[in-house]
Amino acid sequence: MDLYAALQAIVNGVLTGALYALVGMGMALIFGVMRIVNFAHGAFMMLGMYAAYVLFTRTGLIPYLSFPLIAVAMFGLGYLVYQGLLRRIHGGSDFMQILLTLGIGLGLTDAVQLAFGADYHQINFAMLGVNLHLGSHITVSAPWLTSFAIAAALAGGLYFFVRHTMMGRAARAIAQNRGAAPLMGIHLHRVQAFCFGIGVAAAAVAGSLLLPVFYLYPGVGDQFTLKAFVIVVLGGMESIAGAAIAGLALGVVENLTSLYIGNEWALAVDFVIFLLVLSLRPGGIFGSQRA
Amino acid sequence: MKQRTAVFGAGLLAVSLLLPLLVHDDYQLQVLFRVYLFAALGLAWNLVGGYAGQLSLGHAAYFGAGAYGLALAARAGIPLWAAFLLLVLAAMAFALLIGGVSFRLSGPYFTLATVAFAEVLHAAAKNLPGVTGGDVGAQVPALFHSHVNRSFYFCAVGLAAAAFAATLLISRSRFGYYLMAIREDQDAALAVGVDVSGFKLRALLVSAALTALGGALYGSMFLFIVPDQVLSIDISNEIAIVAMLGGAGTVAGPLVGAAVLESAAELFKSVFQEAHLLIYGLLLILVVLFAPEGIVGGITAILRRRKRAEAPRRAAGD
Repeated sequence: MDLYAALQAIVNGVLTGALYALVGMGMALIFGVMRIVNFAHGAFMMLGMYAAYVLFTRTGLIPYLSFPLIAVAMFGLGYLVYQGLLRRIHGGSDFMQILLTLGIGLGLTDAVQLAFGADYHQINFAMLGVNLHLGSHITVSAPWLTSFAIAAALAGGLYFFVRHTMMGRAARAIAQNRGAAPLMGIHLHRVQAFCFGIGVAAAAVAGSLLLPVFYLYPGVGDQFTLKAFVIVVLGGMESIAGAAIAGLALGVVENLTSLYIGNEWALAVDFVIFLLVLSLRPGGIFGSQRA
Repeated sequence: MKQRTAVFGAGLLAVSLLLPLLVHDDYQLQVLFRVYLFAALGLAWNLVGGYAGQLSLGHAAYFGAGAYGLALAARAGIPLWAAFLLLVLAAMAFALLIGGVSFRLSGPYFTLATVAFAEVLHAAAKNLPGVTGGDVGAQVPALFHSHVNRSFYFCAVGLAAAAFAATLLISRSRFGYYLMAIREDQDAALAVGVDVSGFKLRALLVSAALTALGGALYGSMFLFIVPDQVLSIDISNEIAIVAMLGGAGTVAGPLVGAAVLESAAELFKSVFQEAHLLIYGLLLILVVLFAPEGIVGGITAILRRRKRAEAPRRAAGD
């Protein structure tokens, strides 16, 4: 019986972890290419959730169908934020980049609060109550399975983008040597803006996929900014594949923590792992090299 | 230069102490309390974030240690003076632990480690109802029973004055120059034999002690604290924003930053209600883009440029 409980927690963890992986991969892409720790990451995820919420309440389009629209819109927003704000402090200190993204995150969160109020929201549609049974002891909820499938496909797409497209190669070239890359004819700002847009879109899509099984309020993203840091550090700072594995691992660890210690400790355990990795293995557990 | 700043500080202190003669309204006194409290916190943060150049976004850990330290010590029946001693020591113990781990990291890694430590303490305070009262909160003893708002105001002014004096002394001392050397180029400082981690840790110890005193004042002012209030990342952010806005690495910066930020927040409160923190984000973006050295740093740079432009003209005229 206990074994089944643990197994169930692991299954749930993998399902949650796929969304974490998507958020973390977006953060890893941004950090890897432009060395910016995006403190606004959770705020962009929150924007994606609100976008999905508005689309659902206005048009009835469920998030599992509306996410491509959100991805395109948020990619555009991310591109503009890079070109309008981040580009202006290009080459500045880490200090300034952290403060700028922090300011963007605070601004977005409070702008949403101004527009929608601080109330909690949830959405409801028929699919949410459906559960699938695997054997007699393990159940999988249909919305989680759907979001897992979409997130896994997108994570695969993101990996393909980084490894096999021209833009992805250019991004990796910048990550390897940002001085030499422009000399090889790579348009630095265009590639960085593109990657920032992709990273923001990944966070926002993860948010919209999370909406059906979560609740919504303006500060919802804060905890995911923190989790994305944990994932990126575990995965080895700039490794996209490392972030994907770390996201899944974090989901499993959180669910096991909930089962054996208590739900309220999940975030604390995340951070303890984070601090241990930072101090003992700064290259990350799943990453290959250190930044 | 040192004397001029000291005179400026003494003058400001005199004005601050006389201010309650003009302001009697409790609400206005509370706003002024906040201004001076955050000036003190910003000055404390400035030692680490401004002079040593280590961007800490986890100062809520020391702030919360101060507030909860006072609450827990009072519940255990410890006299107030000893409680203050204990809470300062507790914050310094946290500083040793946090600094010991995170000062080995640099840049974004350091910042993330400070965030993580504060969040672990935040979660611990939330999840240990037996110790801290959890989300229900903890009672903090009242430090004053009559003229409460005015007394707290004087305390905040006193703390800000202490932090100002400490900053002034440190910034003109060998210790302060070591910190600035670390900020400008840590590897070069290390190469010429500066005990980089030792000095960073000492700066953090002073900073944590002052921040804890601020947290204790804040907690006692409200008589009741919950983790989401005194240990949240919002507190860490606000402290850093105050110093950055006024000018990190300047003596007067955090004072100016606290005055501007807190009055802007109060103004916005009447217009935007709950979303008044929007101003924090906007001010932060504006500072980074247009005045990366903050208000004081920016004005100093302009004055210096003007003086340099005038100097040859004057020489030619004479």
